[in-house]
Amino acid sequence: MLELRHIYKWFNSGNNRTFLLKDINLRINEGEFVSIMGPSGSGKSTLLNIIGMLDGFNEGEYEFLGESVHSLKDKQKSSLYKKHIGFVFQAYHLIDELTVYENIETPLIYQDIKSSERKAMVADMLDRFQIVGKKDLFPTQLSGGQQQLVGIARALIARPKLLLADEPTGNLNSKQGEEIMELFSELNKSGVTIIQVTHSEKNAEFGSRIIHLLDGMIEK
Amino acid sequence: MIRNYLMIALRNLTRNKAFSFIHITGLGIGLACCMLIFLYAKDEWTFDRFQAKADQLYRITCSIVEKDGKESRIGASAMVQGPAFKAAIPAVQDFVRVQESDHLIRIGAETYSEHVAWADANFFSVFSFPLKSGNAASVLGDQHSVVLAEDEAIKYFGTADPIGKIIELEFNDTFQPFTVSGIARRSPQNSTIRFGFVLPFSYREAKEPESTWDWLSYPTYLVLAPGTDPAAVTRQMNNHYQQVNSKQIAEMKSLGQGSFTWGLQAFPAMHLDPDMYATSHVSDPAYSYILSGIAIFILIIACINFINLTIAQSIRRSKEIGIRKVVGGQRKQLVFQFLGESVLLCAFAFVLALVIAVLALPTFNQLANKQLSLTYLADPLVIAGYILLFLVTAFVAGFYPALVLSGFDPVKTLYNRVSAGAGRNLLSRSLVVVQFSLSTFLIIATLFVYAQFDFLTHKPLGYNDHNLLQVTAHKDGDKQLMKLLKQEFSKLPGVLSVAPRMNGIWVTRSKANEKDVEVLIEHIDESYLATMEVPLVAGRNFSPDFPADSTRAVLVNESYVAAAGWKDPVGKKLRLNQDKDQLEVVGVVKDYHFASLKEKIMPQIFSQGPSMPFGQFMIRISPDDKARTLAGIGKVYNSLVPFRPFEYDYKQDLNFRDYESEQRWKSIISFAAVITIFISCIGLFGLATTSIRRRIKEIGVRKVLGASEFQISRLVSGNFLVLVLIAFLISVPLAWYAASSWLQGFAYQVQGYWWIFPVACAATVAVALLTVGSQAFSASRANPVKSLRTE
Repeated sequence: MLELRHIYKWFNSGNNRTFLLKDINLRINEGEFVSIMGPSGSGKSTLLNIIGMLDGFNEGEYEFLGESVHSLKDKQKSSLYKKHIGFVFQAYHLIDELTVYENIETPLIYQDIKSSERKAMVADMLDRFQIVGKKDLFPTQLSGGQQQLVGIARALIARPKLLLADEPTGNLNSKQGEEIMELFSELNKSGVTIIQVTHSEKNAEFGSRIIHLLDGMIEK
Repeated sequence: MIRNYLMIALRNLTRNKAFSFIHITGLGIGLACCMLIFLYAKDEWTFDRFQAKADQLYRITCSIVEKDGKESRIGASAMVQGPAFKAAIPAVQDFVRVQESDHLIRIGAETYSEHVAWADANFFSVFSFPLKSGNAASVLGDQHSVVLAEDEAIKYFGTADPIGKIIELEFNDTFQPFTVSGIARRSPQNSTIRFGFVLPFSYREAKEPESTWDWLSYPTYLVLAPGTDPAAVTRQMNNHYQQVNSKQIAEMKSLGQGSFTWGLQAFPAMHLDPDMYATSHVSDPAYSYILSGIAIFILIIACINFINLTIAQSIRRSKEIGIRKVVGGQRKQLVFQFLGESVLLCAFAFVLALVIAVLALPTFNQLANKQLSLTYLADPLVIAGYILLFLVTAFVAGFYPALVLSGFDPVKTLYNRVSAGAGRNLLSRSLVVVQFSLSTFLIIATLFVYAQFDFLTHKPLGYNDHNLLQVTAHKDGDKQLMKLLKQEFSKLPGVLSVAPRMNGIWVTRSKANEKDVEVLIEHIDESYLATMEVPLVAGRNFSPDFPADSTRAVLVNESYVAAAGWKDPVGKKLRLNQDKDQLEVVGVVKDYHFASLKEKIMPQIFSQGPSMPFGQFMIRISPDDKARTLAGIGKVYNSLVPFRPFEYDYKQDLNFRDYESEQRWKSIISFAAVITIFISCIGLFGLATTSIRRRIKEIGVRKVLGASEFQISRLVSGNFLVLVLIAFLISVPLAWYAASSWLQGFAYQVQGYWWIFPVACAATVAVALLTVGSQAFSASRANPVKSLRTE
C-alpha cells in the first residue's frame, strides 16, 4: 500500500543539524495493523504525520498507492489524503463548536458530497458506533471515551483505506482504551489498514506488526 | 456547506459574547457614522438636482475686480440683465428673476413678518415646484396675485380654501392687496430656492423700476437651449454689456471703480460655492470632506479591531483550523469560511448601524445643520451605497484574518506549536498604533476647537455686550420718528442709555494723509460711545456744545490712525469718497470688535452727518427686571410704529450667533473623538484580555517566584502603553498642523495652547491604562495555582 525509502527529516538549530528521522525504510501492505512504539521524542508522531502527508520530509522517497508523494504538490497531496486516509488523535481534536453529528459530517463537506447522501452516511456511522442518542450533544458534554469514539467515526466516515491513530487511547482509562482497541481490530478485520502510535505494549499487541523507533531510527 | 459555516459562525458569536460585542458595536457605530455621513454627502452633492431643467439652468454671476486686484463674486444681477440677455442672445430661451425679502403681511386684522419671494411669472413653469392648485403658466400673471406654499396656506387659512382670499403686504409703508391664485407644494429641503409666499416680480418692477446694470440685488436665472455651451453665451453676455454700457464703463474706469464681468453658474453648482455671495443655504464642500474623513476614520478603527481581535483569537480557533485541514479542507474553502463569518458579523453590525442611524438622525441633523429624513433611506442610490459599504467593510475586516487563519499549518496547531498571537506580532501592534494615532489626533483637534471657541466667546471685545439690546426700527428714513423713539425709550425706567445708529454696514473709501483707506462708516450720535462703553484714547466725543460737529467733525478708531499713518491724529483732516469737503478728526476711539473675531478690526470713521439715516438703536438696560424693561420698550415701539411687530436682540446673542458654525464643529468633533476613543478602547480591551489569557501561565510562574501585583500589572500594561505613546508622538505633528491651518481662518487666534499636548497625552494614556490596567490587575490577583494547573 505504501512504501518509505531512505526518509530523513531534520531541522537546523545554529550550526547543529538535529535529526528527527534518519533513514527510515518501511513498507506497509494493505490490511496490515501496524503499531509504532518507542520512547518520547523518538520520532513516532513525526513518522505518522509524514505517512499522513501532514508533514514533509527533507530527503527520501514516499510512495502511496502507486503515487510518488515526494513529487506531488500540496493540493494534490491534500486531495490524495482526504480520499484515502483518516486520522485519530490522542486529544480527539473534535471541533468544540460543532455537535457530534456535525463533527462526523465535516469531512464529507470537504468532499462535495450531497446533503442527502451525507445524512445517510452519518446516520449509518452513528448507528454503527451506537451513539445515535448523542448526536446533538457538543464534544464537551461527552466523556473521553465517547469523544474518541466520535473521533474515530469522523475518521472513518469517508471510508478511508488507511487509518492513522496517534496514541488513540492515551487520554483514556484502561477499560475505555480496551474498547477502542477492540474496535480497531474489528475495523482491521473488515479491511481497513491501520497504523497506530502507542506507548502501551498491551495495545501494540492488538496489531499484526510492531515497529520500534529509537532516536529517529527503526530498531531492527 | 454554507449551513455548516453559518452554524459555526453563529456558535462562535454566542460563545464569545465579549468579543462579539466588541466587533458588532464597533463596526455598528462605524457603519452608522458612515451611513449618516453618506446621507449628508448625498444630500449635498444632489442639491437642486431635482430640477427637471437642472442641466439647462444657469445663474447670472458677476465678478467685480477692484483697482487693487481684489475680486468679489456675486450671484445676483440688476433688474435689466435678464430681459436684456434674452433679447440679445438667441440661446437664452428664458429668464427668471427671484428676489427674497422680508415684508409685513396682514391677513384680516393681524400682521405678521414674513419672508417672501418676488419672482417672474414663469417661475412655476421653469422650476420644478409643483402646484397643488392653480395653473403654472398663469398663476403669477396678475400683478396682484400671490402663490402660497401649502404650509403657509394651512397656517393662515386652516382647512378653508385660500384661493381667492386676500393677503395684504406692506410695500413702502402702505398695505397692498394680493389675491391668492395658487397653492404650491412645499419646496424640497435640498433646494436653494425655498418659499412661503411667491409674488409677481412685475409688481415690484412696476413700482420701483430700475435701469442700471450695477445694482446687484436680484438673483437671475437663465434657461439656455439644450446643448448650448455656456462659455459662448458668457462671451455674448459680456459683449452685449460692453456695447450697451460703453459710456458708463469708461466713466467707472476714470473714477477708479471696479470692473464688472458677467458669468454663468450651473444651477446645481450653486450650493457648494460658498465664495459666491447671495446664495441661500449655501454650504462649504469642506464639510462633506471633513465629515466623510471622520466617518472613514471611525470605520477604519472598527475594522482594525476586527482584524486584530480575530487574529488574537486565532489561537483558540487554530485547533478547529487544523482539524478542518486534516479532514480535507482546502485553504480556499477555509478562506471562504472566515470571510463568511466576517460577512455574518458585519450583517449584525449593519442591522445595529441602521438602528443607530435612525435613532441618531435627529441629533445628526442638528449637528450638521440639515433636515435629512428617514425617507431618504429608501433612495436607490443610498441603498446601493449602503450595500457597497457593507460588502467593502466585510471584506476589509475579514480578508486579512481569513488569510492568516487559513494559512495555519495543521501539524503545528494540533500539537500546540502555534506562536502567533495577541499584541505580539508587528502588524497588530502597528494597527493599534494607527488606531490610537487617529484617536489622539481627534482628541488634540477637539481641544484646539474648544480652546479657540472659548477664546472667541470670552475675549474682551472692547465694548460691553452684556445687557445691550439691538432694536431695529425698520423706519430708516423717518428722522423725526427716530428722534421721538429715542426720547421715549430714554424715559423708561430700566433703560440706562439709548444710542441710534445706522442700520447695516457701509464700507467705502477715504483719503487721509495722501493715502487711500478703505473704511467702515458708522453713523452715530453723541450717546453711542457711552452706550457701547467704548473709551476714547485721544480728543473728545461729539457734543451738542459744538454745533458744527454734525457736518464737519468725525471720530476715527485706532486702526484708522494706523492706516493713515498719523502720529498726532486729533485735528487732522480727511475726505470721504469723492467728496470735496474736508472732515476734521476730533477724537480717536479705542479699537473694538464691532464684527466677529473672524474678521480683523477695520479702519472706522464715526460721523454725525445729517444726510445719513438712523435705523437702529443700541439700548443699554439695567440688569434688574429686564422683562419689565423689555415690555416697556415694546410698548413704546408699538405705540409709535403701528402694525410692525416689535423685534429685538441681545447683542450678546447676536455675537454668539457669529460662531454657530464653530459651535457645530465643536460638537461634531467632540462626538467623533469620543466615538473613536471608545472603539479604540474596546479593541484594546479585547487585545489585552487575549494577551493576558495567553500569558496566564507566565504570570502564574512570576507570582510563584515572588512578583508583586503591581509589578505584574506593569508588565502586562507596559506593552500597550508603549504603543499608545508612539501613537501620540505620531499624531502630535499632524494634529498641530491641522489645527494651525484651521486657526488660520480666524483673524484672532487663541494663544498659549501648549497645554493641549500634555493634556491630550495624559487623557489618552489614562483611558488606555484604565482599559488595560483593570484586566492586568485582575490577572495579577488571580491564584497562580489555578493557572499553572490548567496544562
